Amino acid sequence: MAAQAPAAGDTPSSSTATPPPNPQSLPPPNPATTAPSPVKVETPSTDSKVTPAATAAATPPPKPPEPPATEADTIHIPRYSRWFSWDNIHECELRLLPEFFDGKFPSRNPQVYKYYRDSIIKLYRQNPSRKITFTDARRTLVGDVGSIRKVFDFLETWGLINYSGLASSKPLKWDDKEGNKSSSGAASQGGGSSGSNNVAEASGSSKETAKRVCNGCKSVCTIACFACDKYNLTLCARCYVRGNYQVGVSSSDFRRVEINEEMKAEWTEKETLHLLEGIMHYGDDWRKVAQHVGGRSEKECVAQFIKLPFGEEFVDPAEMESKRNAMENNNAVLGAETPSSSLPNKRMCLTPLADASNPIMAQAAFLSALAGVEVTEAAAQAALTTLSEMDYGVSRAGSFSNHAKPQEARLPSNGDGGLNATEGALMEANSQLEKEEQDLEKAISEIAEVQMKRIHDKIVEFEELDILMEKERQQLDQLKNMLFADQLVLSIYKNKARKSGECMEENARSD
Amino acid sequence: MKLLPSSSSRTPVKFRIPTADNLVPIRLDIEIDGQRFKDAFTWNPADPDSEVVVFAKRTVKDLKLPPAFITQIAQSIQSQLTDFRSYEGQDMYAGEKIVPIKLDLRVNHSLIKDQFLWDMNNFESDPEEFARTFCRDMDIQDPEVGPAIAFAIREQLYEIAIQSVTSARESRLSKKGRRGFDYSPAIKSSGISLDLVKYFGHKSSVVRKRKDWDVFEPIVDILSSEEVGALEAREERNAR
Repeated sequence: MAAQAPAAGDTPSSSTATPPPNPQSLPPPNPATTAPSPVKVETPSTDSKVTPAATAAATPPPKPPEPPATEADTIHIPRYSRWFSWDNIHECELRLLPEFFDGKFPSRNPQVYKYYRDSIIKLYRQNPSRKITFTDARRTLVGDVGSIRKVFDFLETWGLINYSGLASSKPLKWDDKEGNKSSSGAASQGGGSSGSNNVAEASGSSKETAKRVCNGCKSVCTIACFACDKYNLTLCARCYVRGNYQVGVSSSDFRRVEINEEMKAEWTEKETLHLLEGIMHYGDDWRKVAQHVGGRSEKECVAQFIKLPFGEEFVDPAEMESKRNAMENNNAVLGAETPSSSLPNKRMCLTPLADASNPIMAQAAFLSALAGVEVTEAAAQAALTTLSEMDYGVSRAGSFSNHAKPQEARLPSNGDGGLNATEGALMEANSQLEKEEQDLEKAISEIAEVQMKRIHDKIVEFEELDILMEKERQQLDQLKNMLFADQLVLSIYKNKARKSGECMEENARSD
Repeated sequence: MKLLPSSSSRTPVKFRIPTADNLVPIRLDIEIDGQRFKDAFTWNPADPDSEVVVFAKRTVKDLKLPPAFITQIAQSIQSQLTDFRSYEGQDMYAGEKIVPIKLDLRVNHSLIKDQFLWDMNNFESDPEEFARTFCRDMDIQDPEVGPAIAFAIREQLYEIAIQSVTSARESRLSKKGRRGFDYSPAIKSSGISLDLVKYFGHKSSVVRKRKDWDVFEPIVDILSSEEVGALEAREERNAR
């Protein structure tokens, strides 16, 4: 049932429905009182997905289109435009048409915007059954056509003009900011309908970098495309609809691919397999890997690879422990995927690090893979302990040498004397090094100070020069002014003299 | 001897249309296969170039013209825009320049004749506002008159501005840069500007003489359809 409720406060309401006003005699804009007709708010029965975020349209009740017979003057506007009022500028207008309100151009300000908006809407409402075109509006408005077009587009997309009231009307191309949002929303409405054609066309002008090229029409597919894996075809929505594919392929072979949502899509097992194969074959050449996977960009491949369980090894190759864990996980994962044989597992194990840029790591990985898990663990532990012992040894040697010198003096014949002597020499060298370093630092800082002082002095000098220049300029200005005043006085005198001369002539002539 | 104006007005200014908003008047007159499309509007040169194509497509779609018009329209707009931009980098004089602007247009059924003085030095002027006020005061019903008036004013201002650019360039060349801008006389920069001193100096008053009233009064005529047809036929004959 139709909700006969003129939106409260928003729209002008009049008592009687006057006949459509004579276009010649448009009343001066005082729309609060003299409105041509009541305006009815209509809820679209299309999905609420289409309604923009500003409105609170939840589940619109189904309604039949209004019979225009008795209400020839009722103007329909969709529910999401209920905010519109003649007197005010609503915040969504501020949001979607910011150039009118930020003062960047003097010709685009709120009054001008209001003038455009009101006149376009009035023009449309003079004859609501006819769609007003942009050129009509543009011809009647004083102003630059770019701004008029923006306002016109805005009003049209919000259904304030050219709204036919039919539920089947597709949403038109929105502002560029909302282009992707709404077009993906519209595309999800009906896969093969003509709406997607419009959307594909409309969004063809958007600046998305295309990743897919349609096999049929050789154009880039931006929003949605249809991929056929059997024959490895990709068609844009338009070609799919038109049936622009080869003979052996039927429409059911195609699966719909949403480019916008591909980013978030899960990687299927097949794709992961392709990925790993590609890495195995091509190593670091991510372009080839991406090609091998097919349908994923290089970035995505890399990202996915990193996300894979054994990818952590690249993060900190020094940690053998984590590698061991990761390899176990890897075995588990790949074991689940390819339960056939363990050989591919091993190859998989090799691959992640085999092509690592660090050849040592690659070698270590290879050896450890060959040797087996426990052996590797034992070897790693042993290596770690020896390393730490060596470290400890060095630090101990350091503390030794602190006592080295006085001990040397006291116990020159010590059995460890040899050792102490070398360590003492080492320590002396170290201390000398330190002293030199300190000297160097001091010298550098002194130099820096001197430079700074020089620069500072220069700055002071320049400032003084500046002041002098200012004074001179002021004097010059003064002189100029005096000169001008003199010239003025002189010319006035001359004029007076000339005029009195002319007057005398006239008098002489008229006599 | 003429008054030497203060030095500030003698310095050259970067070229732009001397109105509050820097809009370019664009005139289209395209003929394809016997179909003629004439149009005139104002364009904001700050809009990106993609706007041109969008606008051309929109216009062709709205008026249901054959699609061959799209490229022609876009090309024409682009070339006029590039002309404008080529002037943009150069200097022009912004001296004391009061110029007469004449309106002589026929829009649908209305005939507008008017003449008034306009200050080229006033960069805050707004032809659109003038047009709106004009239509309101003269009670013009046809909404297409306003833009036509604004366009005519803008076009004439544009012409004068171009002239001043070329004359600035010439005078600079002739002087060989020796004396600079400050000394070139005011009259040389444009032949049509009025000498303020002569008009509004000591001798005459600011009130216009009675004999000039007819010239400067706006005339708005509403023609009937036959007269419109006759005028159009005459125009076409003249054009050929």
